[in-house]
Amino acid sequence: MESRGYIEAFTPADGKAIAELRGVSKRFGDVLAASDLNLTITEGEFLSFLGPSGCGKTTALRMLAGFETPTEGDVLLDGEVVNALEAHHRPVNMVFQQYALFPHMTVAQNIGYGLRQRRPRLPKAQIAEKVDKTLDIVQLGGFEDRKIWEMSGGQQQRVALARAIINEPKLLLLDEPMAALDRKLRKEMQIELQDLQRQLGITFVLVTHDQEEALSMSDRICIMREGRIVQVGSPQELYDRPNSKYVADFVGTSNFFDGTVVEQPGPLTSVRLSNGMIMRGTPTEEMSNSEDVSVSVRPEQMTLQRQGEGLTVEVRNRIFLGEHTEYLVNHETLGDFLVLSPRQSEQTEGAFTVGDTAFVSWEDSAALILDRN
Amino acid sequence: MTARTRNWLLLAPAGAWFLVMLIIPLTVVFIFSFGERAPAGGVVPAFTFEQYANLPARWAAFKNTMTLAPIGTLSALLIAYPLAYYLAVKSSPKWKTILLVLVIVPFWTSILIRSYAWIFLLGGRGIPALLDWVGIEGVRLINTPFAVLIGIIYGYLPLMVFPIFVSLDKLDKRLLEASSDLGAKPWRTFLQITLPLSIPGIATGCMLVFILLMGEYLIPALLGGGKVFFVGNALVDLFLQSRNWAYGSAVAVTLVVVMLIAVTVYMRLITRLGASREDVSIM
Repeated sequence: MESRGYIEAFTPADGKAIAELRGVSKRFGDVLAASDLNLTITEGEFLSFLGPSGCGKTTALRMLAGFETPTEGDVLLDGEVVNALEAHHRPVNMVFQQYALFPHMTVAQNIGYGLRQRRPRLPKAQIAEKVDKTLDIVQLGGFEDRKIWEMSGGQQQRVALARAIINEPKLLLLDEPMAALDRKLRKEMQIELQDLQRQLGITFVLVTHDQEEALSMSDRICIMREGRIVQVGSPQELYDRPNSKYVADFVGTSNFFDGTVVEQPGPLTSVRLSNGMIMRGTPTEEMSNSEDVSVSVRPEQMTLQRQGEGLTVEVRNRIFLGEHTEYLVNHETLGDFLVLSPRQSEQTEGAFTVGDTAFVSWEDSAALILDRN
Repeated sequence: MTARTRNWLLLAPAGAWFLVMLIIPLTVVFIFSFGERAPAGGVVPAFTFEQYANLPARWAAFKNTMTLAPIGTLSALLIAYPLAYYLAVKSSPKWKTILLVLVIVPFWTSILIRSYAWIFLLGGRGIPALLDWVGIEGVRLINTPFAVLIGIIYGYLPLMVFPIFVSLDKLDKRLLEASSDLGAKPWRTFLQITLPLSIPGIATGCMLVFILLMGEYLIPALLGGGKVFFVGNALVDLFLQSRNWAYGSAVAVTLVVVMLIAVTVYMRLITRLGASREDVSIM
């Protein structure tokens, strides 16, 4: 692992690189929006850029689309450097955040727009036929003559999708496409989008700040922070082996206990917490003694018992979630943290109530020692 | 107070104003137009079409108005559009404000003074002298239709710039990106997206300028020097100089009718053009 934020991500072995960012930086005045991005996008994959607003994910997407030119580094499409190639020459299409549908055109005119720009011109009949087909793909058959403002948010999103995929782009870029949809519709669209991606075999690149969305849809996720790529990997990799506290916090929920490395005997590393307690865990990278780290333990890896070993805590809150029950517990010196207790354990241990004293424990190997930054 | 009375109360001031200042005078003018000229000026009530039969005598004024008003409107549009486009789409936010103020600045001075400036510029010691100096001799500008046109474009440009600017400014710039993303070259994006979506602004600007131009009096009076005169000038002449109120009223009524016809035709045209272009914001 190199220090400058380049993380060699796994790429499906047989996959061909369809797009690449090589040391790409983008500066807007004094603001460094993207810094030394290195990423290979494999043909046919569903990749998400995930991060909070202002992390540079949209800038990365816009450089792939051709709306921004990198200040440094190269953007490659299909093996060719396209830094200065304008958007209208790129075989890339985008679904815009609020769809950016043309309000003076009908649904069919919107969808056929890309085909009408082709030179030499395509025959009208051919365009009409393709528009029809695409309408069917996004399940909007019969809506061709509707005006855009007659369509609901979900329908508008399908139009935006159809308008992009009809061109059979090498890359389909999606800029927070679900942000304007309500929760239920979002779930449905997520599944549909995944189906569509498999059906069409187009490479999808999604930008989102919604970790759930990224986790459920993507083959790979590229986590960004302050203009840099922090980690790239499959959802499971990121969840199980985050390379920093930031990633562990962003992907799923975790409890963190800050401390410094004191000893590294064998596979487990010992960390002295601020209260003097020693915790052991699996290091995620090479660490030196006295380095500031965080011990991360996922709530579902903790066991809550009435009798036994571990930290003595007081139950502060209980939220019944069906399969699981989430407890907020308090330790005298470590403060509050979350424990997720499976239904089964609830049945053997009996449900805890607020104010109960309990014991929390976990396997040392389940705890991860993470870079605190 | 019911909603109905409240609505009436809200409308009352404007209604009263229009009644007193517009409906009543128009009615009076309409009635006058069928009257006869009194020997000492003014009107003798009658019912005769004599005044209307006399209209061809003032044909030149109508002809000038009906040619220079559309040409002036069109010229103002052609000059204003690129300017408005630059202001709305291309200029940086800082420059946008400065340039917009510059467009308004001329309004701070009376049109009368500004037109006097043009009298000098177009007169013998102005631009023609300059042209003379570079070898183009014998150019006469003042008191020609061209001078009136220059004055019209100059005076009415801001009225054209602003509505177009507003429609271009509120145009969602992501639509332009979307068009480019879908493979449209810049000028195709302009023709297919920018221009159609700025039609409401163009329509408003043209309407404002055209209607005001139809009644224009000052610019032809100053820059046309009595040679290029509009219906407005003819009216001043008839009411104030020859005190032929009946004939003046007939001319005025005719102007209103012509204007109504022109505007109706224009509206039809625009609605046909923009039939599918109700002003929609997407989000």
